[in-house]
Amino acid sequence: MTTISPSRALRHSMLMAGRTAAKSVKNPAVLVELVIQPLVMLVLFSLVLGGAISGGDSDAYTRQLVPGLMVYSALLVSVGTGVALSTDITKGVFDRFRSMPIARSAPLVGTVVGDLFRYTACIVLTLGFGYLFGFRVTTGVVPMLLDLVLMIGFSFSLCWISVWVGMLAGKPETVQGYLFILIMPISFGSTIFVQSSTLPGWLAAWTDINPVSLLSEVNRGLLTGGPVGGPLLGALAWMAGFVVVFYPLAMAAYKRRMR
Amino acid sequence: MSTVSAALTDSATMLRRQVRHMLRYPSLILMFAGIPVIFLLLFVYVFGAMLGAGLGGPVGGRADYANYVAPGILLMTVASAAQGTTISVVTDMTTGIVARFRTMAIARVSVLTGHVLGSLVQAMASVAIVLVAALLVGFEPTAGFGDWIAAAGLLVMISFALTWLCVALGMVSDNPATASNLPLPLMILPMMGSGFVPTDSMPAGLRWFAEYQPFTPFIDTVRGLLMGTPIGNSAMYAAGWCVLIALAGYLWAKKLYNREPKA
Repeated sequence: MTTISPSRALRHSMLMAGRTAAKSVKNPAVLVELVIQPLVMLVLFSLVLGGAISGGDSDAYTRQLVPGLMVYSALLVSVGTGVALSTDITKGVFDRFRSMPIARSAPLVGTVVGDLFRYTACIVLTLGFGYLFGFRVTTGVVPMLLDLVLMIGFSFSLCWISVWVGMLAGKPETVQGYLFILIMPISFGSTIFVQSSTLPGWLAAWTDINPVSLLSEVNRGLLTGGPVGGPLLGALAWMAGFVVVFYPLAMAAYKRRMR
Repeated sequence: MSTVSAALTDSATMLRRQVRHMLRYPSLILMFAGIPVIFLLLFVYVFGAMLGAGLGGPVGGRADYANYVAPGILLMTVASAAQGTTISVVTDMTTGIVARFRTMAIARVSVLTGHVLGSLVQAMASVAIVLVAALLVGFEPTAGFGDWIAAAGLLVMISFALTWLCVALGMVSDNPATASNLPLPLMILPMMGSGFVPTDSMPAGLRWFAEYQPFTPFIDTVRGLLMGTPIGNSAMYAAGWCVLIALAGYLWAKKLYNREPKA
């Protein structure tokens, strides 16, 4: 068996990342998904429901909504990582990679790193559409860039859950189903769309510690001003937890699947 | 046997086929009811307090909003069941069973009618499940017996109209994936009407669209019948839209069905 040095393994992974990014750019379905999802949510919540939710001041609601929608978009896009991996495995692409003299981990690491392009595009597009709907960053460029880095970090930590589910579930459709079951409660049981004070007690208790809520609050703080410290520590703890728990699980499941 | 009675007999046979499918796969009804129930729980428990306060009712909270949103969710259920028809039609068209039916001495329209009547049964079963869920989360209709009958009749009419449209959409589709996406606007229209918030809370352009699209009179009429709110001209518009959609869907589906199949 050929031993591959870490530098070569890194190069292989970067080549695979290039493949993933190229697939994203060339696949119109992915691009449409990136554009349509945030746009639909903004139209629905800012225009259709915003006036009623905010008691007439839909601009104020848009200011609260856009930072949360950035998190929601990242959640939805993370599903694509698991689906893409499952599709490649089902179609036999990974069997082909196994027959090549490349690092065993390269296809997996490459997919995850390559998907950072999709995450970044999605977060930036959501913010851009927010601008069209009247949202404005009031804190400056540096906090905005910090927020972007934090959001990409969050997406990266999330994608290991997606990878793990992608390795366990048999078919790409199943992966999508399982991940949506996971995403629904953590996104709607959060402060993305409403403040926790308006929720029933049992739901508010979960909302206050939910990683999506914490990150939404950090986004609001970094983009429009407000407290950042407490929510940031909580969000970072969740992100670290996701990586510590799901990275080993994903790698173990990947190795099992690649046997 | 006259042509009409033969067509009725054949349609009854096709309906029996659809009901058999339903009994064999009861999970389908749960699936059609599932999305509306999720929306119901989501809007009552997550958005209910904020949206309810905006409705300005006596309670002005979650309880008020449950009463407001339930009729919209019932319409969403009807749309969800109609979407299922599109998938079952395209499945029949692509698996070759329809080609087999074409060679038999049966009324041509009966194949489509069977789908429509089967979908009506499925839609009403789904509506019943969603209605129970709505009652459990705090929906308190004030309707009398006559109002319930009228509301049920209207839901059947709407379901009939949307199902004919979805049959046509199923025949236009090449595969189940396309078929499941084509009727998606029907699921979104209740949200872009008076289903979830009053239309006067929307911005001008969107309000205009919301007031003139078919789901707004559908929802306002069902809400009026179940909750005793004023109906105005909505019932007339709802009936008009039903006739228009059913007729357009029927003629389109019939035209597509009568085309020679592709070799």
